Amino acid sequence: MSTRWWAAACVVLATAGCTNDKGGGEQAIVLHPPTDVTSLGQPDHPIAGPQGAVPQFVVECAYSHAAPDDPIVAPGEFGAAHLHAFFGNTTTDANSTIDSLFAGDTTCDQRADLAAYWAPALLRGAEVLRPVKSTAYYRPGIDVDPKSVQPYPKGLVMIAGNAAAEEPQPLSIVAWGCGTGIARAVEPPECAQDRNLRLIVTFPDCWDGDNLDSPSHKSHIAYSSGGDCPEGYPVPIPQLQFSVEYPVWGATDDLMLSSGGLLTGHADFMNAWTPERMQMEVELCLHREVVCGIASGRTSG
Amino acid sequence: MRRVVSAVVAAAFALLAACSDDDEGGGGATPTTDGAATTESTPTTSDTSVSTSTADGEWATLRVPDDHPTIQAAVDAAQPGDLVLIAPGTYREAVQVTTDRLTIRGLDRNEVILDGDFELDNGIRVLGAKGVAIENMTAVNYVGNGFFWTGVDGYRGSYLTTYRIGDYGVYAFDSINGHFDHLYLAGSPESGLYIGECYPCNAVVTDVVSEYNGLGFSGTNAGGELYLVNSVWRHNRAGIMPNSGTYELCYPQREVTIVGNLVYDNNATESPSVRMAIRRQGTGIVIAGGTGDVVERNLVYGNDRYGIFLTPFLELSPNDEEPTRQEWGTICADAKLETPAERDDPIVWDVYDTRVVGNELADNGVDLVLATVDEDPATLGNCFADNIFATSAPRRIETLAPCTGTGSGDWTAGAIDDMLDQLYRQIKPGPEWQTAPLPPLQPQDDMPDAATAPPRPATDVPFALDLAAIKVPTRP
Repeated sequence: MSTRWWAAACVVLATAGCTNDKGGGEQAIVLHPPTDVTSLGQPDHPIAGPQGAVPQFVVECAYSHAAPDDPIVAPGEFGAAHLHAFFGNTTTDANSTIDSLFAGDTTCDQRADLAAYWAPALLRGAEVLRPVKSTAYYRPGIDVDPKSVQPYPKGLVMIAGNAAAEEPQPLSIVAWGCGTGIARAVEPPECAQDRNLRLIVTFPDCWDGDNLDSPSHKSHIAYSSGGDCPEGYPVPIPQLQFSVEYPVWGATDDLMLSSGGLLTGHADFMNAWTPERMQMEVELCLHREVVCGIASGRTSG
Repeated sequence: MRRVVSAVVAAAFALLAACSDDDEGGGGATPTTDGAATTESTPTTSDTSVSTSTADGEWATLRVPDDHPTIQAAVDAAQPGDLVLIAPGTYREAVQVTTDRLTIRGLDRNEVILDGDFELDNGIRVLGAKGVAIENMTAVNYVGNGFFWTGVDGYRGSYLTTYRIGDYGVYAFDSINGHFDHLYLAGSPESGLYIGECYPCNAVVTDVVSEYNGLGFSGTNAGGELYLVNSVWRHNRAGIMPNSGTYELCYPQREVTIVGNLVYDNNATESPSVRMAIRRQGTGIVIAGGTGDVVERNLVYGNDRYGIFLTPFLELSPNDEEPTRQEWGTICADAKLETPAERDDPIVWDVYDTRVVGNELADNGVDLVLATVDEDPATLGNCFADNIFATSAPRRIETLAPCTGTGSGDWTAGAIDDMLDQLYRQIKPGPEWQTAPLPPLQPQDDMPDAATAPPRPATDVPFALDLAAIKVPTRP
């Protein structure tokens, strides 16, 4: 069933003019199927609610670009992925490495955040919707001792959510919402006027302590439960909650993700934060348990 | 009496002080009585600190750049109670402060400049450290905030200038017991000054000039012994705006007291601004869904839309249910422990129990305005008395809603009847903050005796305020 959606994404790519000229012109491109990625466990409950109760630091990043690339799942293979919307690092493409990201620039308000963030493109019919922005919330996992949280190692890659899902995913990992509101749904709800549709993806918050990546891209990281990391994943890391905002209100009939349907929400992260800065934010904000910033009330009114 | 001691002795005292577990300021340290130390009258090496004793205790003065090349290095070396004294110069730093009771002071407000270069996030960020005072300096071109305290008990900012800042000029979030005075704040798209998420805040804001910002003052969910007095709010999109919202904790906004302010010409159309300020463009004092606020003895003129505007605040995407009246007394520390309820419909925050008394208004689009969307305005407990004004909406507002006795009259006569449209109205985005037109930065008053005054950590704030003595300001 998913095949139909890849085809749709390819058509969209052609019409959207977002094929990448580094992709080798006429050479045949093997399209990678959406990867079935789910890390061990899931958060104890969906993370939502007013800011200010839990220590955090926040980065807002403008939309950068779209490309059918995925440097984690299909490195070096231009055009081999479904269409992704990229945020943060402005150079992200199929060839991206941590070093190349560090040589790039960022769309984020936190200039030391050169990380690459991406999510499947959201389409309405054949139209690729241009996201409004992304917001990355970095917090301790639920009930995890904030002082135990360690900075991400340089070059850590993570995928959250399942790009091949055919059933609803846990709301604690992948959810849709309206504006900054608390309600969560497995498929896009009809949002009222001025309440932008958001895709909210929550990443694992425990690391095995050794591997920046793994063959499945999932087995080196896991979710905590009850405030503890599972066996084999001894290092608590910040829980990244990544939200993409789209200029969508009202009917959701024609919407679909480039990864297929509306249940395949996921997001990817390559850590190219300036290491000193990431360490500072973890120590100063999370360890000291203060709110270092808030996604502003700009969407309220 | 001044006493100069060697760095070794100073460091020993500092350690003693750090171990003394005394929150009141270095009481654990005892000044040396070793007369020999006074012979070292000329510290020459970069790791030499000058320690001074007074009846209040013991501290070191750490000079930038003489003793330490950067502000951060001095702050990192400082012990609670110390004075970091910064010489004129431009400092491209984002300073992090985690040590209690520091006083960080510039020797010249106009020439000690922290420059974020449109790259760095905050000029000085105080993270959970109690009692940190920042004095007599300027922050420009920061992506985030100029001077930012978060999660602290005890803060003070005095004689500070912020200019062209991405979020807030001066910002105290989730912080209590504070004092701000002699601030000049210009060119922030959110607001010049923001105090957010505190109840009771127990803070005083006085002698501030805030102009060419989105909002002059923003105070989401801030109140309880919070006083904005004797300040100037002009040429912003809107002058002063406390508001309620569940996007941050400790709602609703309650009990801010706004007295003796000059609030005029908040009609800027080209200042950098976020949406919620642009929506209130042309208004002086806006109470946006607040409760129990007091607006008294202010001079409010020349604001194109409304002078003093009690208006609902529309929150499209709430994170919780609106608290009931019985819950309005909940202090912030307790509210943090509560689990929010799921709520997906917008909240219209109304204004309750707010007193508008003894203000002078002129030349505003409408001088006094009380607006609601659904609620009967006669039931909300707001009152108006002894104001000098020409126009109101609804008309005869002091007869409808007097502060003593029972009101009477027709609430529909002259009322604003398109309030929901106003709250939803489509707006044109403001210019980018980095490049928005701003008048050149003018020299601002220096603090007295910056070179010689002892440190004054924010352990005695807010300073006493004689509210009754404040008079309506005169026009400049």
